[in-house]
Amino acid sequence: MANGKTFKVALVGQPNVGKSSLFTRLTGVGVISSNYPGTTVEFDEGVVTRKGKTVSVHDLPGTYSMSGNSDDEKVVLRDLWEGRNDTVILVADATNLVSSLALCFETLELGLPTIIALTKMDEARKRNNIDIDALSEILGVPVMPVSSKTSEGVDALADAVCEGRARTSGFKIEYLPDIEKAIVALEDGLPDSLRFNKRGVAVKLLEDSEPFYDMIGTELKHTVAVMKKLYRDNTGHGLGIDIATSRYAEAESIVSHVVSENDTKPSLADRISDVMITPITGVPILLAVCLAILTTIVYVGSFLDEVVSSVYETVVGSAIIDLGGSSEFWTAVLTGIDGSIQAIMSLVIPYIMVFYIILGILEDSGYLTRAVVLLDRTMHHFGLHGGSFIPIIVGLGCNVPAIMAVRTVQSRREKVILSSMIVMAVPCSAQMAIIMGATGSYSGVIYAFGILVMLVCLAVITGILMNKFMKYEPSSLAMELPDLQVPSAKNVLFKTWYRIKDFFYIAFPLLIIGSIVVEVLLQYDLLNVIVDPLSPVIVGMLGLPAVCAIAFIVGILRKEMALGMLQILAGGLALEQFMTPDQFVVFGVVMAVYMPCVATLITMWREIGWKETIGVSVMSIVVAILLGTATNILLQMF
Amino acid sequence: MTTGNREDYLINILRLTEGEGVAKTTELATYMNVSPASVSEMIKVLAKEGLVNYEKYKGVSLTEEGLTYARQLRKKHHVLERFLTDYLNIDHKTAHEEACRMEHAISDESAIKMCHMMGTPVDSDCQSCKKPCKAVSEGVTRITPLNKLAQSESGRISHITSDDTEVVKRLISMGFVPGREISIETILSDGGPRIVRMGNATMALDYHLASHIFVDTAAESEQF
Repeated sequence: MANGKTFKVALVGQPNVGKSSLFTRLTGVGVISSNYPGTTVEFDEGVVTRKGKTVSVHDLPGTYSMSGNSDDEKVVLRDLWEGRNDTVILVADATNLVSSLALCFETLELGLPTIIALTKMDEARKRNNIDIDALSEILGVPVMPVSSKTSEGVDALADAVCEGRARTSGFKIEYLPDIEKAIVALEDGLPDSLRFNKRGVAVKLLEDSEPFYDMIGTELKHTVAVMKKLYRDNTGHGLGIDIATSRYAEAESIVSHVVSENDTKPSLADRISDVMITPITGVPILLAVCLAILTTIVYVGSFLDEVVSSVYETVVGSAIIDLGGSSEFWTAVLTGIDGSIQAIMSLVIPYIMVFYIILGILEDSGYLTRAVVLLDRTMHHFGLHGGSFIPIIVGLGCNVPAIMAVRTVQSRREKVILSSMIVMAVPCSAQMAIIMGATGSYSGVIYAFGILVMLVCLAVITGILMNKFMKYEPSSLAMELPDLQVPSAKNVLFKTWYRIKDFFYIAFPLLIIGSIVVEVLLQYDLLNVIVDPLSPVIVGMLGLPAVCAIAFIVGILRKEMALGMLQILAGGLALEQFMTPDQFVVFGVVMAVYMPCVATLITMWREIGWKETIGVSVMSIVVAILLGTATNILLQMF
Repeated sequence: MTTGNREDYLINILRLTEGEGVAKTTELATYMNVSPASVSEMIKVLAKEGLVNYEKYKGVSLTEEGLTYARQLRKKHHVLERFLTDYLNIDHKTAHEEACRMEHAISDESAIKMCHMMGTPVDSDCQSCKKPCKAVSEGVTRITPLNKLAQSESGRISHITSDDTEVVKRLISMGFVPGREISIETILSDGGPRIVRMGNATMALDYHLASHIFVDTAAESEQF
């Protein structure tokens, strides 16, 4: 395995045990780690060379168990099954050892070569003493204490992995006698070709773990079904529950053996957490936090926007466009490039960066999960539960990761409701920039805020209506609350950097290509064909100049391009002469609501299916036109 | 062929077909630990009596009449089993085995009287002997659904029930497992989520989800 080939390592652990941080420490590849569960939705791979070996590390999604009954768990099992990993690093949280051990037992049972990385050691030492040697001896695999915060033990762990010190353990949990009998009976029937330990597979089958059914024949499936029924009739319990019970009992007994608890009194963090969660104090705090976020993005954003534009003006000026010389074609292309660079600079630095720093602080402090709990009941009115708050907040940065985060909600129905709310009513950074840049600058900040208030109302109405008209499916919140902590500036900035980098990868190529295409089309007057057919809507209903149709179409490619487009369409005129303040309000409304951008469309198609994607898109266009028309009529009346 | 044997078949067909409709004869043979030959023999008799439908290659299912008969039988089983576990303190396994034998002998009338004596009538046609049967008996344990627990109350998880196996699986995988100590940290509002603590983990749990988790508060506080 190690003879020149890549050495394969998989990181397995429960959510929020510090898996992603450890991955970053081990590989230097950035993965966004957050202080809330469910950060890694698919998995990331990092390749490093150490001690002459090429090591490929997979960061698998955090799961509480390995039953393979959720999407995340299926991803984990598939990687463990097909990946032929040379080492599995089981990431266990030293501050919450019982749950981590329960997952650890599952790995050991399957007979995978394992090393246990005991994370958050710095934090754990403040609370208790863990006898690491004893733990390692009981489990029969190496246990390495690490801390991603202080880097403690990370090198030693990497060395241990490369030296192949992972072991398959003979550790066995003694289940109830009836279960043991069933396990033995199943083991006999299992084929020898399995890549997992037979006992482990037998236990998984009795636990009713879907993916394992694919490994066995129909006859064995029948036997398992009968065993499950028989067990239930004889004992009155489900097999799955009793297996889990034994695991946790074993975990608790091991923990009581190796951990000597220090006196833990409720800490300051616990008391603050209480204040944040109790509705009387929590709701005002939440409102204050939301208002602070909005004001920061709006004011700091528009301030930085001005700074960036003036710096660009003085440093670059028209240098790029001048390169084109007298060639009409090249001037068009270079104007496109110049426009894209300006657009992205004035979007990324002021709005996206500021937002991601705020998001990072909310995540890492543990506040976001508290907000989720607090909002749980409110969200029920929309047929959602509190967990949906996270995709909504993420959507304020960019809709693409927001739609991806929609995966964490359970039912299809919630996915559709949540996607609709995000697409129509949650302005992404680009939309925010347009609302501020167009409506805010030319009609007044008060109108920009008006649009934001309108979006909040739209979100509420969309949620309530869709909840009413879509078939009910139960959904409910169950989420771990990580301890509150002061976020580390390093981690927040690191995450912001990686998120912006991701954004660059998606946005920049599209933006450049889109801009060049548009410039060329404009140069040769090719876009005008769409202006006339659309003008009844644009002029008649929305009261905008007919050429705005082009800006809207371009906006589907990248939202932030719409404003730049408007500038181009104004054809040398200053924008305030091109459109009236009222028209900028209508423009802002339509831009905020209509049609997701291409990147979001593709993501949505993958996550909720093409029918729903089309449905949501059409709905957003209709709602945008209606709201725009209503705004237009209202503004003309006063 | 004795009545008991006949009834055993009926009750086992009920257990196997509940929800699915048809049981294969081989399945039934494994389940009852008898030979496939004797199964087909008995099925023929029962079919003649109009208690089961049998189709070759497809399997056996209960007729309307057979279903009523088998359900009646199972109620008797539950009454007897509960009497044995709750009043005589017999362990669950033995109680089940003995109830299996007595269910054929006891008359409807005696079963109903026995049921009334124990208080709560067994009219729920529960699918199998669930632990709650034992739990509801007073004095031994104090089982409360987690959502009915007050702030800062605590106990040990006694069992988890839900008709939806996905819910059970989800709760188990998050560590809501019988035997673990659990306490209510905060209640947000009456029907709102509960913040609970298990070991060193703090979890937020929806009100309805919490209703599937039953907690034995006596196990923790030791006061009867």
